[in-house]
Amino acid sequence: MNKRKMFFRMITASLLRRRSRMIVALLSIAIGATILSGLVTIYYDVPRQMGAQFRNYGANMLFTPTDGSFTTADIESGKALIDKADIIGVTPYRYESVRMREQPVMAAGTEFEQAKLTSPYWSVEGGYPSSGGQILLGATLSEQFRLNVGDSVEINYTPESDGTEETVLDSTKEFTVSGILETGGPEEDYVYMNLSDLEELTDITGKIDLAELSVSAKSDKLKTYAEKINAGIPTVRSSLVKRVTESETTVLTKLQALVLLVTVVVLALTMICVATTMTAVVAERRREIGLRKAIGASNGSIIKEFMGEGMLLGAVGGIIGSVLGYIFAQQVSINVFSSSISFMPLLVPITILVSVAVTGISCLLPIRSAASIEPALVLKGE
Amino acid sequence: MSLLELKNIYKIYGDLHALDDVNLKVEKGEWLSIMGPSGSGKSTMMNIIGCMDKPSKGEVLLDGVDIAKENAKNLTMIRRDKIGLIFQQFHLVSYLTAIENVMLAQYYHSVPDEKEALEALDRVGLADRAKHLPSQLSGGEQQRVCVARALINYPEIILADEPTGNLDDANEKIVVDLFHKLHNEGTTLIVVTHDPEVAEVAQRTVYLRNGKLHKETINEHFTGEIKFDK
Repeated sequence: MNKRKMFFRMITASLLRRRSRMIVALLSIAIGATILSGLVTIYYDVPRQMGAQFRNYGANMLFTPTDGSFTTADIESGKALIDKADIIGVTPYRYESVRMREQPVMAAGTEFEQAKLTSPYWSVEGGYPSSGGQILLGATLSEQFRLNVGDSVEINYTPESDGTEETVLDSTKEFTVSGILETGGPEEDYVYMNLSDLEELTDITGKIDLAELSVSAKSDKLKTYAEKINAGIPTVRSSLVKRVTESETTVLTKLQALVLLVTVVVLALTMICVATTMTAVVAERRREIGLRKAIGASNGSIIKEFMGEGMLLGAVGGIIGSVLGYIFAQQVSINVFSSSISFMPLLVPITILVSVAVTGISCLLPIRSAASIEPALVLKGE
Repeated sequence: MSLLELKNIYKIYGDLHALDDVNLKVEKGEWLSIMGPSGSGKSTMMNIIGCMDKPSKGEVLLDGVDIAKENAKNLTMIRRDKIGLIFQQFHLVSYLTAIENVMLAQYYHSVPDEKEALEALDRVGLADRAKHLPSQLSGGEQQRVCVARALINYPEIILADEPTGNLDDANEKIVVDLFHKLHNEGTTLIVVTHDPEVAEVAQRTVYLRNGKLHKETINEHFTGEIKFDK
């Protein structure tokens, strides 16, 4: 048997056969590693989680035409410059002035499946239009026209006269109210319909006035996207909804700073806890250390053996902490953000390394005192 | 040249002279007993001979080298290479098996050799208990593991501090018989004891009182075998 094999046999025997003693030390390291790994996971996942939460407050990017209006193709070109994974939804809007029961109202043609993604805060009584011939009526208009879900109403479109004598044809179409929209905002003054219905009503296709985008990215990345689009697509002017992006950045920065602070405090507490435990372990083993020195162990050997034990404990604690930390982060994420957390494989070796390093540093002081033990005094029981 | 020579050794703690001008020679292959009441300086002397302490004054020549002048690091090396220690309270590492305890001394000395460690346990009659933990061994068996550990590196001197102090008569006899065997093989033995029966088995006995060598007796009928009058 070589010395290395004997070294590992000794330290594993110490850990395995002194289970009840070592379990306390292992627990303190594992708990520290769990909190550490969990908090780091949350720290890195917070932007994604909070980003998703912020997306509930609506779009954070707008496409507007640089000159009058643009087309679906322009929007697609702009969209192509954003990472697909970051796009939550892109909703085109076209606005036209129409008449309902002879009263002028603003109609907005859109794609409701996308609107659900970019405006998840919309509260709809009834339902979104699921097919042609249905409208979503703003709450103000519903009250004004005394229209409820299921009622029918005719909407009339009269193109603006360009001043020539040419005959202008009105277009009228009957719609059924599928839902009443409540937002507490200006949306309640609009009548929403499928873009295709508005195109049919106006006999103008492909024209878009505005596109709202919900993009899951931090403020810096959003700015980069906007600059790229403005530079690359001349017909599209991309801008950020500052009210959303700025507050998102502020909250994220503060939240991440808080998690980082807690992580550092936990790390310090873990070190104190491990150092205290290792001091107790060393105190308990004074006689054994004295014996080892009496039979020829040098100070270096004693330090090496105790460090070996400490680091092995650190590694095992780190492995346990990585697993429990992920479970901890997952539970926090499910309970706080109502969504699962993504597993970060790189965090496993990092947690183990940090645990080993923290245990090693925590062991230094008690081990130095262990090396100074006088064998003669200890063996006499003094 | 004597294997061990103590010249005018003093060990002073404040006003207390734990050892007071002690002179002693131990020849190679000799079996010496050190006797004396509690506080007579036996343990202090054992610690100095065992390189675990240094005298306040005087020379301790081991194989011609004055170990009183060596630093702690060198004393550890001398203790590891030349001295085998046996203690009254056995002092085995509780979580290592009998064979691992023996191999521990090899580990610090040179290279652990399981076969050789097993042979050492066989010499003390414990080959079949090699894989047992100290808690699974009787007091006598634990002391025999200590003997095996002490002799594994073929030390110049085996230094035993009250080796039979915690043993019953049967185990005391086993341990003394082991010393007899080691003595016959040429090992130098220094045994510190309270027990006159154990002391008288040796070739020579020195008596300490108040830190001074009080008297010395030679066993003219030395056989190395213990006789019980109890």
